[in-house]
Amino acid sequence: MEFPQTVDTTGCEHEPIRIPGSIQPHGFLLVLSEPDFRVTLASANAAAILEVPSPYDRSIDDFLPPVNGVSWRALLSQASIGNSPQQLGIVGPTGGGEYLALAHRHAGKLILEFERTAATSDFRLEQLHAESTEFLAALQASDDASVAQDAAVRKIRKLTGFDRVLLYQFDEDQHGTTIAESGNDLLPGYLGLRFPADDIPAQARELYRLNRVRLILDANYIPVPIVPSPNANDEGPLDLTYAVLRSVSPVHLEYMRNMGTAASMSISVVNRGRLWGLIACHHTEPRFVPFAVRAACDFVAQILSLQIETHERAAEAERRVKLRSLESQLLTSMAGHGTDYSAGLVENKQALLEFADASGAAVVVDQKTLTVGRTPDEHQLIRIAEHLAKHGNSDVVTTDCLTTELPFTRDIPQCPAGMAAISISKLHPSFVLWFRDEKTTTVHWAGDPRKPPRVPGQERLHPRKSFEVWKETVRGHSARFTSAEREALADLRNSIIGIVLRTAEENADLSAELQRSNKELEAFSYSVSHDLRAPFRHIVGYSELLRERAAERLTDDDRRHLQIIADSAETAGQLVDNLLAYSRMGRTKLAKRPVNLNEVFRIAQTDAMLDARGRRITWNIGDLPTVEADPSMLQSVAHNLLSNAVKFTRTRSDAVITVRAQETPHEYMVSVRDNGVGFDMAYADKLFGVFQRMHRMEDFEGTGIGLANVQRIMARHGGRAWAQGAVDCGAEFTFSLPKSKP
Amino acid sequence: MTNLLKPILLVEDNPKDLELTLVALAKSNLANDVVTARDGVEALDYLMRRGNWTERPQGNPAVVLLDLKLPKLDGIQVLKAIRSDSALQSLPVVILTSSREEQDLINSYRLGVNAYVVKPVGFPDFIEAIQSLGMFWAVLNEPPPGSVKPRFADAPAS
Repeated sequence: MEFPQTVDTTGCEHEPIRIPGSIQPHGFLLVLSEPDFRVTLASANAAAILEVPSPYDRSIDDFLPPVNGVSWRALLSQASIGNSPQQLGIVGPTGGGEYLALAHRHAGKLILEFERTAATSDFRLEQLHAESTEFLAALQASDDASVAQDAAVRKIRKLTGFDRVLLYQFDEDQHGTTIAESGNDLLPGYLGLRFPADDIPAQARELYRLNRVRLILDANYIPVPIVPSPNANDEGPLDLTYAVLRSVSPVHLEYMRNMGTAASMSISVVNRGRLWGLIACHHTEPRFVPFAVRAACDFVAQILSLQIETHERAAEAERRVKLRSLESQLLTSMAGHGTDYSAGLVENKQALLEFADASGAAVVVDQKTLTVGRTPDEHQLIRIAEHLAKHGNSDVVTTDCLTTELPFTRDIPQCPAGMAAISISKLHPSFVLWFRDEKTTTVHWAGDPRKPPRVPGQERLHPRKSFEVWKETVRGHSARFTSAEREALADLRNSIIGIVLRTAEENADLSAELQRSNKELEAFSYSVSHDLRAPFRHIVGYSELLRERAAERLTDDDRRHLQIIADSAETAGQLVDNLLAYSRMGRTKLAKRPVNLNEVFRIAQTDAMLDARGRRITWNIGDLPTVEADPSMLQSVAHNLLSNAVKFTRTRSDAVITVRAQETPHEYMVSVRDNGVGFDMAYADKLFGVFQRMHRMEDFEGTGIGLANVQRIMARHGGRAWAQGAVDCGAEFTFSLPKSKP
Repeated sequence: MTNLLKPILLVEDNPKDLELTLVALAKSNLANDVVTARDGVEALDYLMRRGNWTERPQGNPAVVLLDLKLPKLDGIQVLKAIRSDSALQSLPVVILTSSREEQDLINSYRLGVNAYVVKPVGFPDFIEAIQSLGMFWAVLNEPPPGSVKPRFADAPAS
């Protein structure tokens, strides 16, 4: 275990640990040329152990006897020798001792290692098999991940006899945590302690991933150099990535000695191709672990890895199911709000927060915000949304460090550390945002601080210190957003967009429908315009002809009847004209521009006075504003209101008509008041209806469409029209127009 | 006796409107003949001396009073044909219609109509409109060159 390989020995990560140029002394190494199997490289101790003057350039069969009657040439010609060391057999060189021969190929080299076998082994193969089977049974008995982890470290301690066995797990940021431990108290406990990622340099991590088992049997060993044949061309350094005898970094050995561990072994837990964790074994005394036991440990670790993978997949599936259920909850509440998805989202606060495991969430749509939980204030949320709209080119943005992603958030007091954002609309900056708190405040520190291990003079390598370093590292960071969470966010985004699009489609359908009916209406009024007016014209025309040509034959009554026929037809014609005008007014486009109402009302007053010749009318027209509106439509409004005022004051000998304007922050209001016959407020709502009349035709003529026009024009301008009055006490008609945006 | 004044071409499909218009024109004491066409094709036949009108003497009418809603070719199409015919393009055309629809007005002016008159419902107004139209276009308006007889004084003896 190369942790904690110091946080401040910066040279570490550049150390060529794959090509140390030496091996550990509990064996020897040969590199053979192919196909003649001559020695091109050898560890410096090879000649002495083999009792040959020099092994170089000799064929291996020349100095090593066959294994079980099989020549080395035959053994090494096996195609199955790959980069994982393969046992070829036990050899007993003339120099004494027994060695396990292991061969592997890597980087074009055939590497033959001879590892000294233990004089006595605690385990025989069948026992190893029994231990492994027992471990499998223990795992099957429980689906609790921590039980499996505990069982693994206990089993490995039993197999290896090390004083302490630890299981480390690396998180997404490569920070490590001790999650299981088995020991005999000769070495301090590390359970629950965390170590920053820097503790294990990247190239060491990669080596752990490739070669899962590594043994250092004595920290005090003296490395044996690997020496090339004097006749060899410069072959470059030998890559020992997969070698079992590889010598380790002197810095690490020094660290081990300081930590009071003479022997260490590590077994990688590799899960789906990534280094999930490490099982680290430490011993106060030098300790050898035979190859078969190491293989059994690797087996345990791999079984554990499978177990972990199963648990992780189950947890992921569970999380996914949970997320899906949360998503459907959110979709349900959104569906309840029709087009307003944002209201639906924030309605189910719990689901919204849980969805991204967040402490706060916000929906920002067109400068408007809705929030749940702890979030930055509205102003900041809008700023964040604007920034994302401008710079974000991804539909789903997640960060565990908001201040790095959006530097301006540094100024936000108590700014959340992490954020997830999904973009709903690019057209109008719309986002759903989630915020996560800082990790240090949310992670439960398995503190029960055991006594930190004391290593005099080695404070810098102290795990406790490492934790402090870890805290420094994660300050300002939230828990990361996992790929499953990102997927869920993308899914939710699609669903929301689906809702938005469906709404848009429905609107488009509606608008197509409207357009069609508008077209139909247009066609209708076009034909009304042409065809409906004609018969009235004919009635008028022919009754006129009749009156002219049959004049002498007609009685006075006949002529009166003819006149009524003509008048009625003419009125009907006018009604048609007015109706068409009313309908046209609803269909034509508004041509808005600044309109001076003083001018408009002056013209309307002149027009109205044409019908009031000889009458005394006092006009009080105040100063009127200039508004943004369609001039001809406003002219029609003014004309209608003033001619009404003139009409309904006809019975007054002293008519007074007052026009004045008022202003609020958002609108202009213009009212026309008269002292005429007024109306009953009970019918106020009928005033603005088409063909609604308040008075008998013979009292006050008119088609009853004027005020309907007024109201329609106001509606089209986003304004309103209303009336107040009392019978015989005059009437006041007011319209309001919204102020245009600056 | 042949009328030396150029005729007025009235294009109107509705017999009642036709009668009322003729009454109105008669009341205005115009000396011009009034030729009637009952649809767009007939109007163009007359103007281009085709169909039933191949035998008519050469010369354009003083004015065309053209209804918009017509069988076969409508008023707008007739107007378009007139304006794209080199012999007819400067012929005065007055649209005489029931329609107050903006699109008709815009289309007509875009195609170079000389006047656009909405037939009033009231009879006296109607008479007045027709009379002033007839007077203006048939008598007062200077006909374009190429017309048979621009002025009474210049009328050759037959």
